[in-house]
Amino acid sequence: MTELFERVKGLGAHLSDSPFLAIALTIAAYFFGTRVFQQLKRPVWCPPVLLSALLVTGALLLLSIDYVEYQKGAAWLTVLLGPATVALAVPLAQQIHHIRALWRPILITVPVAATLAVVYSVALAWWLGATPEVMASLAPKSVTAPIAIGITEQIGGSVALMMGGLLITGVVATLFVDLLVPRLGVDDERIIGFVLGVNAHAIGTVRAFEIGHTAGAFASLGMGLTGVFTAICLPFAVEFLGGGIFNG
Amino acid sequence: MLRGFLILTVFLIIGESLSFALDWPVSGGILGMILMTLWLLTQSGAAGTDVGAASQQLISILVVLILPGVVGVFFIGGQFDGQWLAVGVALVLGTLASVATTMVLMMALLPKTSRKNQRD
Repeated sequence: MTELFERVKGLGAHLSDSPFLAIALTIAAYFFGTRVFQQLKRPVWCPPVLLSALLVTGALLLLSIDYVEYQKGAAWLTVLLGPATVALAVPLAQQIHHIRALWRPILITVPVAATLAVVYSVALAWWLGATPEVMASLAPKSVTAPIAIGITEQIGGSVALMMGGLLITGVVATLFVDLLVPRLGVDDERIIGFVLGVNAHAIGTVRAFEIGHTAGAFASLGMGLTGVFTAICLPFAVEFLGGGIFNG
Repeated sequence: MLRGFLILTVFLIIGESLSFALDWPVSGGILGMILMTLWLLTQSGAAGTDVGAASQQLISILVVLILPGVVGVFFIGGQFDGQWLAVGVALVLGTLASVATTMVLMMALLPKTSRKNQRD
């Protein structure tokens, strides 16, 4: 009996050796987060991924598993972010026909809005004395997560801080759009959807699909184009600035 | 599904190779995505194809894939102490400013005929 007890005591350490505990925990937390989100009546201010992340954090603290250890196991899942990023080409290609009808407003708005989103936040952070690493983590804040991870790694930011910034940006932008729309008297779904996609990435796109199919389509397009534009221009801009603000 | 996954992976490898060979600071996944967008535009519709099916599967589990990264937010610790004011202001004010800019820009640029309901 004592032998069995000893073996059970070592179970936690043994299970942490394989990635399956981390994988099961991540997937279970995903279902939990989605479920609680539905029960809370889908609040914009609390995206399901935040609920899931809180659950994983709680479980890690409870089981006293190190975050780095968890991340190593979960890497078996996150490696799929590579092909998943490529997969974003499909919704983008499907929505791109909207460009033909409205090429002028779209092709002017995306570069201007995506650039200003970076410039506003980096300038404010720089003014308040943020370090280059913090500025690099805030810069891709309007870009959808899989693309933003790639950008952050390229320009030397912290993925954890960037993820936090991404969540806050998505929530704040979506709430602000909801606030602004009735005040400005905007009732064109294409404008609402596009503004949501450009500024609030996936969180805004989910909200746009709640408004309507047209808003959702334009949000997907806005999100995709903002992601592509920022992914190409931001790393080159940082490289070009060289010894500029990002590198101190 | 598997065939679609293979195509996605091939585009990822092409993107990665370009990024490495040209020494570009753009990640391979993003270059792969851009190349695949261009390729899909030459095809007649991606829905219902192998790539469409595989992409839909992957996109539907995107939240699971980014979740481990989001968990990292709660383990940042004291790494960025003293900078949280800058982070908060940059995120909130920066976002308010860019939402307002995008909204005004789109309203100004969208063809008049399609803005018939905006008289008030």
